[in-house]
Amino acid sequence: MTGPSFDFGEVLGNIDLLLRGIALTLFLWILAFSFALAVGLALALARASARTWLSWPAGAYVEVFRNTPVLVQLIWFYYAFPVLTGVQMSPFTAALIGLCLNTSAYMSEIYRAGLQSIARGQWEAGRALGMRGRQALVRIVLPQAVRRMIPAFTNRGVELAKMTSIASVLSVHELMYEAKLLSTQTFLPLETFTIVAVIYLLLIYPGTLAALLLERRLSRRYAT
Amino acid sequence: MPSYAWDFSPIWRNADLLLAGLANTIWLSAASIAVGLAIGLGLAILRLSHSRLVSAPAGALIEFYRNTPPLVHFFWYYYGLPILLGVSLSPFAAALLALSVQSGAFFAEVFRGGIVSIERGQWEAGRALGMSRRQLMRRIILPQAVRRMVPPLMERSFEVVKTTALAATLAYSELLYQAMTLASRSYRPLETYSAVALIFFLLLLTASLAMRQVEARLRIGQP
Repeated sequence: MTGPSFDFGEVLGNIDLLLRGIALTLFLWILAFSFALAVGLALALARASARTWLSWPAGAYVEVFRNTPVLVQLIWFYYAFPVLTGVQMSPFTAALIGLCLNTSAYMSEIYRAGLQSIARGQWEAGRALGMRGRQALVRIVLPQAVRRMIPAFTNRGVELAKMTSIASVLSVHELMYEAKLLSTQTFLPLETFTIVAVIYLLLIYPGTLAALLLERRLSRRYAT
Repeated sequence: MPSYAWDFSPIWRNADLLLAGLANTIWLSAASIAVGLAIGLGLAILRLSHSRLVSAPAGALIEFYRNTPPLVHFFWYYYGLPILLGVSLSPFAAALLALSVQSGAFFAEVFRGGIVSIERGQWEAGRALGMSRRQLMRRIILPQAVRRMVPPLMERSFEVVKTTALAATLAYSELLYQAMTLASRSYRPLETYSAVALIFFLLLLTASLAMRQVEARLRIGQP
């Protein structure tokens, strides 16, 4: 019996295919992350609102997106949402919307925790200076809160990066999709998926390290 | 915007299909969590070893699985591993392996975090009483650490339940895969996928409500 022989060279010979996949993965990641940051803030503010017609739907939204699998969400946006609206989306748009909405639900929780962590006195100080609620939020509370949220946002970015691979199920031509294609073309699934796992690691690990360093720096600052 | 006539009757007629899928989802989740906890505990023990020769590879494995997409592991275990082993794996076996190793890496960090979080004084107190490392672990550290580990372990387990949906890509007949079959058969993707989202939601919501109960119990007697 001969052991399995490996042929990483043939897979690496198709590196241009994988590079194209990486480019789209990065594009999807950055777009979904930026949108989710904005949507998440809006959700957190809606949830903190005293008006129940704002806070209640925002709360429900966050719970629904946090308690269902992201693959189900992407499939819903691609196959079910067009039936409802009559608008067919491209796979990329459906994946972008699904990933963005999913991540924004988690982001809103980060904002909420961050905003709550700011002492009440800061709000009151703003009001004492004659600022309105929004001014106090933008000028006093958010700048302090955001600093504390950065590690959590970075962690979320790492989770999102991993989730982008799920877009391959809708045949978005990102890294995982190209990998599946390559593995059937070359008949080398073991080599292909090993290389792709390493590529993902190289893309994602810096984010994890950054979150760790930021957390350490923060805890040192607040340790005193 | 066209007004759409919702029709859930194909879903009700094929409820048995979805229920069978739900049963498989729960089965795959439970098995992956159980195996994942065992792998996680093993990895955590290796990771906490004083010998770098043991702790470094365990750490590398944990970081690798925490920083790569689960979908890649599903494909690696289903299409790649059989070549290495010379045996073919069923979709269930591949999904179970991928999920339990992946979740094991996360569980390991929870176990380690719980043990490391116990104050230095507790270790010193045990040592002052002449306890060996093993006695110290069993009698002083673990009883306190386990309390702190339970909430994050449960939270991770919910992630496992959500990740089982990826097994649909290996054609394992869990809830989402059954829904895909039903959607293409009934031409009712909107109702089918909405129903599936709702089932997952209710499953996980029930689980997290139960978790709150457990957390409240764990807080009893805590400062």
